[in-house]
Amino acid sequence: MQARIVTCSCILLLAEVVVAAGPKEPAELRVFPAPIVLWRVGATQRIVVEAIDGDDRAIGDVTPVAELRVADRTIAVLDQQGRLHGLRPGRTKLMVRLGKLTREVEVEVRSGPQPYVPSFRNDVIPVLTRSGCNSGACHGAAAGKGGLKLSLRGYDPQSDFRVLTRQARGRRVDLEHPGRSLLLVKPTMTVPHGGGLRFELGSDEFWILADWIANGCPAPRPDDPVVERVTMLPEHVQLSPGDSQQFVVLAHYSDGTVRDITDRCKYTSSNMVVANVTEHGVAAVEGRGEAQVYALFGNFVAKASVLVPFRTDVAESVFAQAERFNFIDDLVLKKLAELGIPPAPLCDDRTFIRRVYLDATGTLPEPERVERFVADRDPKKRLRLIEELLRTEAFVDYWTYWLSDMFLLSSERLPAPALWAFQRWLREAVAENRSWQTVARQVLTATGSNLQNGAANYFVLHKDVVQLTETTSVTFLGTSLTCARCHNHPLEKWTQDQYYATANLFARVRLKNGKQPGEVVVYDAPDGDVLHPRRGVPMRPAPLDGAPMPADYAGTRRQYLAEWLTSDRNALFARSIVNRVWAALLGRGIVDPPDDLRVTNPASNEPLLERLSAEFVKHGYDLRWLIRTILSSATYQRSSVPSPENAFDDRWYSYYRVRRLTAEVLADAFAYVTAVPDRYRGYPLGTRAIQLPDVKVPSYFLDVFGRPKREQPCSCERQNDASIAQTLHLFNGETLNAKLRSDKGRIARWLAEKIPLGEAIERLYLLALSRKPSEQEKQKLAQALGTDDAPAPLDRPPTREQLEDLFWAVLTSREFTFNH
Amino acid sequence: MIRLDAKRPARFCDGFTRRDFLHAGTLSLLGLGLPELFAARQARCADPSRDVNCILIFLVGGPSHIDTWDPKPHAPEEVRGPFKPIRTKVPGIHVTEIFPRLARYTDKISLIRSVYHTATAVHDTGHQLMQTGRLFSGGIQYPHVGCILSYLRGPKGAIPPHVLMPKPIGPTGGNMPHGQDAGYLGRAYDPFVLNADPNDPNYRVRDLLPPEYVSAVRVRRRRRLRELVEQSLRGFEASPQAKQYDDAFRQAYTLMTSREAREAFDIHKEPDSVRDRYGRTRFGQCCLLARRLIERGVRFVTINMFETVFNEVTWDIHGSRPFTDILQMKDEVAPNFDRAFTTLIEELVERGLYENTMVIAMGEFGRTPKINPAGGRDHHPGVWTILLGGGPLRGGVVVGESDELGYVPKSRPVTPAEVVATILAGLGFDVHHELPGPQSRPIPLVDYNVQPIRELL
Repeated sequence: MQARIVTCSCILLLAEVVVAAGPKEPAELRVFPAPIVLWRVGATQRIVVEAIDGDDRAIGDVTPVAELRVADRTIAVLDQQGRLHGLRPGRTKLMVRLGKLTREVEVEVRSGPQPYVPSFRNDVIPVLTRSGCNSGACHGAAAGKGGLKLSLRGYDPQSDFRVLTRQARGRRVDLEHPGRSLLLVKPTMTVPHGGGLRFELGSDEFWILADWIANGCPAPRPDDPVVERVTMLPEHVQLSPGDSQQFVVLAHYSDGTVRDITDRCKYTSSNMVVANVTEHGVAAVEGRGEAQVYALFGNFVAKASVLVPFRTDVAESVFAQAERFNFIDDLVLKKLAELGIPPAPLCDDRTFIRRVYLDATGTLPEPERVERFVADRDPKKRLRLIEELLRTEAFVDYWTYWLSDMFLLSSERLPAPALWAFQRWLREAVAENRSWQTVARQVLTATGSNLQNGAANYFVLHKDVVQLTETTSVTFLGTSLTCARCHNHPLEKWTQDQYYATANLFARVRLKNGKQPGEVVVYDAPDGDVLHPRRGVPMRPAPLDGAPMPADYAGTRRQYLAEWLTSDRNALFARSIVNRVWAALLGRGIVDPPDDLRVTNPASNEPLLERLSAEFVKHGYDLRWLIRTILSSATYQRSSVPSPENAFDDRWYSYYRVRRLTAEVLADAFAYVTAVPDRYRGYPLGTRAIQLPDVKVPSYFLDVFGRPKREQPCSCERQNDASIAQTLHLFNGETLNAKLRSDKGRIARWLAEKIPLGEAIERLYLLALSRKPSEQEKQKLAQALGTDDAPAPLDRPPTREQLEDLFWAVLTSREFTFNH
Repeated sequence: MIRLDAKRPARFCDGFTRRDFLHAGTLSLLGLGLPELFAARQARCADPSRDVNCILIFLVGGPSHIDTWDPKPHAPEEVRGPFKPIRTKVPGIHVTEIFPRLARYTDKISLIRSVYHTATAVHDTGHQLMQTGRLFSGGIQYPHVGCILSYLRGPKGAIPPHVLMPKPIGPTGGNMPHGQDAGYLGRAYDPFVLNADPNDPNYRVRDLLPPEYVSAVRVRRRRRLRELVEQSLRGFEASPQAKQYDDAFRQAYTLMTSREAREAFDIHKEPDSVRDRYGRTRFGQCCLLARRLIERGVRFVTINMFETVFNEVTWDIHGSRPFTDILQMKDEVAPNFDRAFTTLIEELVERGLYENTMVIAMGEFGRTPKINPAGGRDHHPGVWTILLGGGPLRGGVVVGESDELGYVPKSRPVTPAEVVATILAGLGFDVHHELPGPQSRPIPLVDYNVQPIRELL
């Protein structure tokens, strides 16, 4: 029955999909940047002419086919690569034409400094960075390379200047014979260079360095203008495979000038399957989907998005008429419409109740509950069910376990009483739905006995400042700081100075032994600092990009950190937990992996993550609100059956993403269906895997199915991939086979009650799959259970072996082992 | 007349014994029509006359090149290190004194002393580069070289084509993939992971045989029933995770129903004298098991000498706690490697397997020439040394050299991609053959500008 409904809606969808929207037609031309301001005579500016469609979307770079003309060519001229050169101060216009479309843009050339001498900070270092000279693999390495040590990606211009002009007996720059400077002959391979050719003799890069040397190597000055922000244009483009798009990157300086750095940046693409990007900022579209193109300049990252729809002919009504239950759906459907991916229909009630039980509580619904739910005629019954589940003990167990993964609860580093205290503390927090903000504050500022205040165990688990700094960052901000321990983070804005300023906020946490076994008392000492390893002095305590702690701050350093970390202004704090919860419920983070939030790892739907985070903050960091909101969305409730139109969707949530039950949930599900409880060593019979406070409890089953070790704060610890070891264990291992053979469980009971085979199949399907078997399924199963001559009779009790084999088949099937 | 539910476990009423079970299973599911598929796949890219195997030993942690196979006796004290160079079988090739056995085999293996990479100096990047030839970026995960072989050649009989032991590399600090799976080729071509320590007295590959009380007939019935339950799947099985789970089911069934395949893993069948030759360590016994598996049809074995760089004494000799320092290498790690590695080569030669089996030992980077204050050395991808030989690879050759201080390549710099290209060429593949990448985008085995190292082939 169900199968038929699904098929019908697919046909319906197909029919709608065929309705074509018109092909994209440019409605106007736009020029980037506009207006064009050349900040000095001699400066250049790359120009892009973009076709814009009727919906104000940039739909293609038409610069190569458009006609470009400067009105007054004594002021500025265009070269063949589409760059405008400023010749003398003045104002003119750039005229653009393509077919019937035309556009005029103001051009202004300012006089700027004359003559222009390249600046060490703003010209020389960007050349070194773009050429890779100061990268982590070359002279930017902690130990330098070949005797030359530059700061990583030029974060310390003063030191780099000293190194280049004063060290190596001044051979690096030769003021009398600039052409002999090592700074020029090495990277051009005029003499042997371990790092190979970085740029050609006579290239732009070469001339910037040569000019700087020829002008006497002026030093960086405190009043040099500095970059304040970097922008990339056009910000969004919608293209087709085979297209290419030039981007323009502008640096906005503190002196108010805006300079073209398109040829001074490094570029990367977040998704090379969709688009590649050249070193001159040209994106080449390779496939469909969405890619972010990044321009990296110093510690700045600018981005633009390239969207390549899978289809452009899906009728708007497909999206307009799709179910929407809350704002999540609006934002998901908006993205799907942009990409041309039709969403799946909603799942049926039986699928929904099983799914939401598993996702919210890690348990299966009782057959009576399923039937009651299916029979319920209330249109709001799904919402009511969600509400009901959020109030169950199983919900508390499940999410306590989830938090225990995050907080790395394990007897590896915590004695039993401490472990229990921490777990109890987390359980209370979940049970009373403590706000996430409060949870974080309480953990980070925990003091006193770890047995009285379970949260204090955070400081028992992570004893030194390095561990504390890095674990705190991953746990609460979903951001890894590890790189910055030794040098500035190569892909992020974090510097080593910031790292040690943050670490210093943990410098005064102290531990002492308490009176009872396993008891540790956490307190704050009045003094103590962490030294910056290279500078040898403590950094003024300051949280990452927050303000330094005022000298007269009334609280402890940890309190200052917690205040900053959990403040509404710290966007990462909400974003991180929202993304983690989303990943838990929908199988993939909006940012993936869920604990790798950084500028260069884009969200698959940024407006969605932003809005969900903002609403979460507005709702007081209420985790239950968050879970309820996600579960109530149509997005969560869509069918897991892909159609040919959306099967390739791996990140935009057009259908529910199936996944294998986690190790613990699967173990509990086996115990539930067979009614043979597990006995974990040291725990009472019937303790469910999800209730264990510890991951060191021996269980081959849990390990082989991917239970995390809780050693590193990393979502990668939990492994949900299938392996032959798992399936061998299901075939031949003791875990499932022993449950089937048990003389106490459900199988034994049904045998004793002489339940006929037909009824046994029916009951088993309801218990395990929350649905009834079809007549045909029953017949086929009976046939397979019988002999060649005759099927096993459905109206007579099966033998034990028949029943065991039937249970085995259902419990290892994907319909059972997956949430779908 | 077959009765399915008789209660005698050891001998089945239909005349099947547990032993017969093995034969029942030779009709492996994996076998159905697949040889043709693999033949077609490799027809365009490989030399079918070459049936070369490979044992890839990954020296997790990153051995210090200066203290192992690229000694610098004339460097200043702060670089030189405590170990003296010794002469080896091939005049002119020196290694340090902590590898006395290896010194006798330099005619069988070659050294590349100029491998370098330019990615960030963390373990994970090196793991990716050395095993896939590429750094993962732009959302694409590349396949391990052994998985490429699995994809193009498929299994020989019931035994998996690629076995990884004892376990995949665990977290090593970078939170990045380690390049030990099939990446975009799909989970079906992931290696079979041993997940056991062959040095453990109770070693066995778990769950290879059904328990006594589940007869062969029942195993088949269970499988049949499971197929019936699965018939009514509502369409979600197309998703990659669901497909992967089903592949694992089929592969497990193939494996458990083949005696040859199961016995290949049974290291207890090896005489004690042979086991002792390799050294009774996890790594030593992995090397022995690798030889045993290659003899019995496995095409590619990946051995991780260590599972991670934490909680173990490894090549990761930072000096500061919890890591060990340079001097401590001679106590455990070096002798363990020296013994097992040379025994492996000895045995492969003795058994006539060396001619068609490549053996490669490599780490993810070298270590800083300048000894740090803790008496250790830190990560240094600027240059390092790897060992390789067997199959079509020449022995006794030194490719490239590092500079006087061991900082950078002095001649013939070699990238990880060239190393991977060399392995692929050794296996008989056209290294620019294109694989179907994500969204069917063709991706060459290695980039078009990368060539195998001709000096070795």
